[in-house]
Formats: sequence, C-alpha cells, structure tokens
Amino acid sequence: MALRLRPFLHLLLDLIEEDYPEQLQNIITEAKGITCLQMLDKDTAIIRISDKTIRVTATARKSEVNLRIYLSRDCLFRILEGKQTLEGALNSGDLEVFGEPPVLLSFYKVWERVLSLARTSPRFYFLTYQLR
Amino acid sequence: MLSSRIEDVRWVDSFDLPSIFDPRIRLYKEWHDFVFFDRTQNVFGLLNFAVHGNPYDAKRGYGAALAFLVKPDGGVHTALELIPLSDLTVSPYNPDFLSGRVSVSYLANGSFNIRGKIDDVTLDLNLPVEAPPVTMSQIAADILSRNRATMGMLDAANDMAQVWDKWVELPMLGVTGSLGIGSSNITIDTTTGYQDHEGGRFDWGSVSGWDTGVLLADPSHAGEPRKVSFLFYRYGPSGSSQYGGIILRTPYGHEKYFASTFTSVTDSGEFTGPRGYIPGVTRVLYPDYHPLISETITFSAFDGSDSIDIVFTPKAVCTIVVAGLSQAETTFNEMYCSAALNATVDGQKYHGTIPCWFESVRPRRRRPI
Repeated sequence: MALRLRPFLHLLLDLIEEDYPEQLQNIITEAKGITCLQMLDKDTAIIRISDKTIRVTATARKSEVNLRIYLSRDCLFRILEGKQTLEGALNSGDLEVFGEPPVLLSFYKVWERVLSLARTSPRFYFLTYQLR
Repeated sequence: MLSSRIEDVRWVDSFDLPSIFDPRIRLYKEWHDFVFFDRTQNVFGLLNFAVHGNPYDAKRGYGAALAFLVKPDGGVHTALELIPLSDLTVSPYNPDFLSGRVSVSYLANGSFNIRGKIDDVTLDLNLPVEAPPVTMSQIAADILSRNRATMGMLDAANDMAQVWDKWVELPMLGVTGSLGIGSSNITIDTTTGYQDHEGGRFDWGSVSGWDTGVLLADPSHAGEPRKVSFLFYRYGPSGSSQYGGIILRTPYGHEKYFASTFTSVTDSGEFTGPRGYIPGVTRVLYPDYHPLISETITFSAFDGSDSIDIVFTPKAVCTIVVAGLSQAETTFNEMYCSAALNATVDGQKYHGTIPCWFESVRPRRRRPI
C-alpha cells in the first residue's frame, strides 16, 4: 500500500535531519515564513517553516497559508522519472501552484535543494517510491 | 599478445568489493556496461548494472540498472531503476548481479544471461563470451611493449591506476534473445556485443573524464576490421592533460595502436537529434541543460604507413548526470553513432560505415547546494 503524504513528509524530515542537518538549516533559512498547503491526490498536509523548524501538520488557518500546491501521484512520478517536464506539468494543469512570486521563488529553491539531495541519497529515493 | 583466457572471465569480471574497514568505502562504485547493435533490427542497446556507495550499508549504498536503447525508428528509450541492497547480490567470486527485478548471471557455459525488467524494458538475453577479457594493465603492458614510453602515457596510466581498481573489457560477445520496450518486442541476434566493467573508490570530483568507445564491427562484412576501440583519458590537476589512443584489431588478430600523440581530433556542428536524460530529475533541476554535442567528431591518426580516419556522427544521445558526495557532478554523454571508417594497417585497407558506442565523460558545473 502506498505511503500517505503526511507520514512520508515526517519520514523525509527525519531523514534530512539525520543525514543532511546542514542542508536542513539552509532550507529553513531560505524558506522561513512559508506555510504551504501541499496536496497529493486527495492527501493533504500543511508544511510550516518557522524560524527554527519545519513542522508538518494536518490543518492551518486559511489566512496563514501563503502557498498552495496541487499535484497527483501520477504527475509527481512522471516528473521525477523525466517523462514530463515541470513546465509541461504546469501548462497542462497537472501541477497547480498558487502564491506570491517571492514565496514561489523561495519554495522553488527549497525544492531544488531537496531534489539535489535526493540524487545522492538512496534512502531518499526508496522512501519517495513508497508513495507510489 | 594477451594472456587471459575466456575461462578467466568468472574472476576477472567479478566485483571488487572493498573491505568493510576501507576508509573510502562510501566512495565505492562499480558497474557492468553491456553494449550491442543488431544490424538486422537496427537496434542499439547500452545496459548498465551498477553498485554505488557502501555495499554493506543498505542506507547509503544501492544498486542501479539502466537501459539506453535506440529503437528501429531511431527514437531514444531510457529506463532507470534503483535497487535496494537488501534485494541485490554481487560478489568477488563471479560477475553476477542478482536482484528480484533484473539479473545478470554468468553461466557455466561461458555466457552471460540478462533477464528481468528495468522499468518498462523487458530483457531476456544470452551473451556468449567470444574472446578473452582484456584488463587495463594488459592494455598498458601491450602498448608499452610496442611503443616508446612517453610522459603523457605514464602520467595517464598513473592517474588511472590511482582512481580505478578495475577496468576490464570483454571485446567480443554474441547477443541473442528478446528485448521488450513497453508493449513492443524485438528479437536480437548479433555478434557485435561488447562489455566493459569498471570500478573504484573515488568521488566524481576527482575525475576529469574520458572519451571512449567501440566500433561494433563485423569482420564478416567486406572491408571491416574485427574491432576498433579508443580511449582518451583526461588527467592532471586541471584535467586539461589527455592521453590515449585508438586500437584497430584486424580480422587476422593483429592489433595496431595509434597513440594520441599521432592523433588529431576535430569536431563540427551541433547535434540536434533525439536525446534522453537520466535521472529524470535532471530535467527538473536543470530545465535548460543541454550539453553541447558535436554533429560530427573526426579522429585522424597515422603511424608510418598505417593510418586511420574515423568520422563519428551521433544518431542518439543519452545524458546521465551522476552526483558525487561533494558538490561535484559528472556528465556521461552516451552516444550511439554511425562511424565512417577509413584505415590502412599492414598494407590492408579497412572501410565501412559501422555502428558505434561513444562515451564522453566530463565534469558538470557544481550543483546548487
């Protein structure tokens, strides 16, 4: 059975904290203040990046959320496996992102950093594939 | 000239697993590359089976199986699967790479069996070994025995010996069986298979790259030699030094070596054909990444009355970006080329347009960490 989104994010944070603590600090520095509503198919998670920590929760007040990302598992793996570009996913509506431009740019940096780490970490790869 | 026998494949081509106490164990990496071209079906294949990282630590080591295929219509198909170490068996006693999804087995009859799936690529291939293995040290000894040693030759050999624990090739393999890509199935039957096996304990940041490849020649075709291979290895503090050469093996078993000191390499144009990128996240991380590939690459070399000219025209390219433990990344441009050969060795002329595997490896700029 595929892993649900929130348990996945908790495991991912544990992994980054254990294997890449410096990178975790960089992510926090780059993206502090972002409260992201992440949807993966029908799973939802709130990712809160505060001054010192990243927390994954189930709910947030609507006014707190400054970034929304809607994505399907199919689309996620099409992107990860290079079968669809990010641009293609955005144009086709398979990936929808809403937020102010500075917030989007900050979070893109986080995503780039996390993906870059993922490429050197087999733990990260195998964890991600538990989502499918 | 070479002392190896086909019977030596089992140990020469086995995995050089490091000691569990090795301080560089995290940097361990080793792989099989199988290459073939079926002229009847017009299908090219590169299959890579690798182990990366600490092979005794399931958290930080992993296996990988990769396929780069060029289909009869010229389209590129790539597939990559990572394999948890808990599902992978390799050993220092044989070349086997065994996992639940895909396996490479070296059989008692002296052939490899590749069976299983890499993503949507289905493999059921038998590859009998048709010629003895050749090791890096054998190539170096043979070249030194017949050519005057130069500083470039010795520096490159020294650099390679420091980086690589293993660099072995099986110059001739038959390849028969079936290859499935999605729902289509292709029957493969060719004598122009090749394998190499490399391994070492190094970070990608310490490697300046190389250009290597093989013309998948068929001596039963008029004018074609038994084999042409080349290796130009980059070394030195800035990676700007280079040494290597081209080896032509005649149908009669004689080998002619053209050193890089007598070789000129020129290129022109820009390749615009089909490309694949592996891993897929390369396209997310670097949306505009488009490594420059020349439209043609020409090698010209001479030695006395012997000469060789090869014009490589890439037909399909697969770019593989591998990440090191540090910020370094290295780009492997795996190319399926058409190689126009014109050579004269021992008064005999060789010519033809021959399918070729060309691997060009270079450092990529540092990744964003």
